[in-house]
Amino acid sequence: MTAVIQTKNLSKWYGNVLGLSDVSLEIDKGITGLLGPNGAGKSTFMKLVTGQLRPNIGRVLIGGRDVWNNFHLFRGIGFCPEQDAFYEDVTGWEFLTGLLRLYGFPAKEVTERAVRALDIVELSKDKDRKVRSYSRGMRQRVKFAQAVAHDPEIIILDEPLSGLDPLGKRRLIRLIKDFQSAGKTIIVSSHVLPEIEAMTSRVIMIHQGKILAQGDIHSIRDLIETYPHMISIRCSDARALAARFVPDKSILKMSFGPEGRSLVVETHQRDAFFSRLQTAVVEGGIEVEEISSPDDNLQAVFDYLVVK
Amino acid sequence: MATVREKGYYHWDGQLAEARFPWWPITRTGILLAFKKKGFRFLFAGAFLPSVVFLAIIYISEHLGDFKLWARGSEKFITITPGSFKIFFTNPGFLFLMIAMLVFAGSGLIADDLRHNSLQIYFSRPLKKTDYVLGKMAVIFFFILIVTLVPGLLVLVFKLIFDGSFKFFLDCPWLVLSIIGYSVMLAVFFAFYTLLLSALSKNSRYVMILVFMIYLFSDILYGMLQGPFRTPYVCLFSIRANIEQMGAFVFAQKLPYAVPVVFSFLVLGGVCGLSALVLHRKIRGVEVVR
Repeated sequence: MTAVIQTKNLSKWYGNVLGLSDVSLEIDKGITGLLGPNGAGKSTFMKLVTGQLRPNIGRVLIGGRDVWNNFHLFRGIGFCPEQDAFYEDVTGWEFLTGLLRLYGFPAKEVTERAVRALDIVELSKDKDRKVRSYSRGMRQRVKFAQAVAHDPEIIILDEPLSGLDPLGKRRLIRLIKDFQSAGKTIIVSSHVLPEIEAMTSRVIMIHQGKILAQGDIHSIRDLIETYPHMISIRCSDARALAARFVPDKSILKMSFGPEGRSLVVETHQRDAFFSRLQTAVVEGGIEVEEISSPDDNLQAVFDYLVVK
Repeated sequence: MATVREKGYYHWDGQLAEARFPWWPITRTGILLAFKKKGFRFLFAGAFLPSVVFLAIIYISEHLGDFKLWARGSEKFITITPGSFKIFFTNPGFLFLMIAMLVFAGSGLIADDLRHNSLQIYFSRPLKKTDYVLGKMAVIFFFILIVTLVPGLLVLVFKLIFDGSFKFFLDCPWLVLSIIGYSVMLAVFFAFYTLLLSALSKNSRYVMILVFMIYLFSDILYGMLQGPFRTPYVCLFSIRANIEQMGAFVFAQKLPYAVPVVFSFLVLGGVCGLSALVLHRKIRGVEVVR
């Protein structure tokens, strides 16, 4: 089956500045997190996918069709830019209906859709206020509303959570997940790792215009062999547990956590370690409270791929 | 929280029609925003003043008997001819009012989009660059045609009504075409002129000054060069003079400046060409880093 979005050897540069370099990837339905620091090429990637930029090399295909100069495809794309993109003197209602009219909906449908979209983002009460008077969170929400009001199959959200308070973030994340449940293809960019982690484990890591990794975050971690896996075990007797692993040559390093309540192990053979851990715990009669992988998260993976 | 989830997604089963006039929503927004500007409504209403005065003159000319005392000695002046229409359409005061209107209605058309990064919102939708430019131009067309074409035709109709015959129309049947032609040409020129300047800056206030000052300065420059050079060709520096030349040509009147009208058309066309070039380069979906 063809992926919803495909890029083939995609490259984009602005004069001497490299925006994106040789990016080939496939994106399927569901939420995909686009992760990278500021200036990594996330926005360039999104603008190429939304057909706003022409690639210098390569192609972007949506549903097998080239995006560039194929503006009919844009009917199926909803784009929420990072920066504010409003006229300050229009109301939220005018902003939304004005943009919906560009799709050629009948007038009645424009009204219905605008009502529904504002309802989704809980801005119905403030629809007649000028955008000028909107808070940062309200602006983000009305931007989200314009991206989804026309019921697109592909939703591209550039830093949608920036500037939102924790409650606002939670609401928007829930909304994004709703659209995922409805079978939409969603690309969300962020440089804040926990935000992406809260939405999806499927990520594309981008840095200096290049794709560092793509796929499930845990699978990506498993592929990084240079750095051993860190496993933290909080248990009733961390020292006794450590003693059982001393002869194990697959363990590279052991250390104790705060107050000696946990044991932190570094190993290249995670699966083998877990099977031995099971035996050690049963034989030693040790009560395990929690097992976690401190470096099996986006931050750690990203650090491994980018910094070190 | 559950309520948020319930109203999360909605699928539309309707048939999505191809927008017949994709530029219209842009025009609509432009017109709406112009009327939201302080003082614009007053200015817009003021732009009809020359038409009202012209209509009054037509009324007086057709009822000279009733205005004997007032109109004594100026009967010749208030006799309505195609030349009167040329004077009405090309008089500097009327053109100045139009420029003042453009300062408010047109200066922010592209500048505000550049400032607010709205282009990426527009171009991520099924909208072509030409639709966008056409939409913006249509805002200027609307305002220029509504104060030139509409009153021009109405004044002509009232002339016939006051006259009580079609004689005036039959004597110069081309006048309708002249009114339409001149109004359209004026609208096209002003649209390109305003959009050219609007695309040059993100600051609409700066554009406002540019729209106003370039028009005025071109006329001042003409005045300044007229003395030392002593040639009528310096009128080509003045936007107003070129429009006046164009108007005289379209209304089949004697040219006010002893310069072939084709030069004035070339100057006005050159501004339009330059504008098209600048618009082509400046209007992009995204900021381009250099």
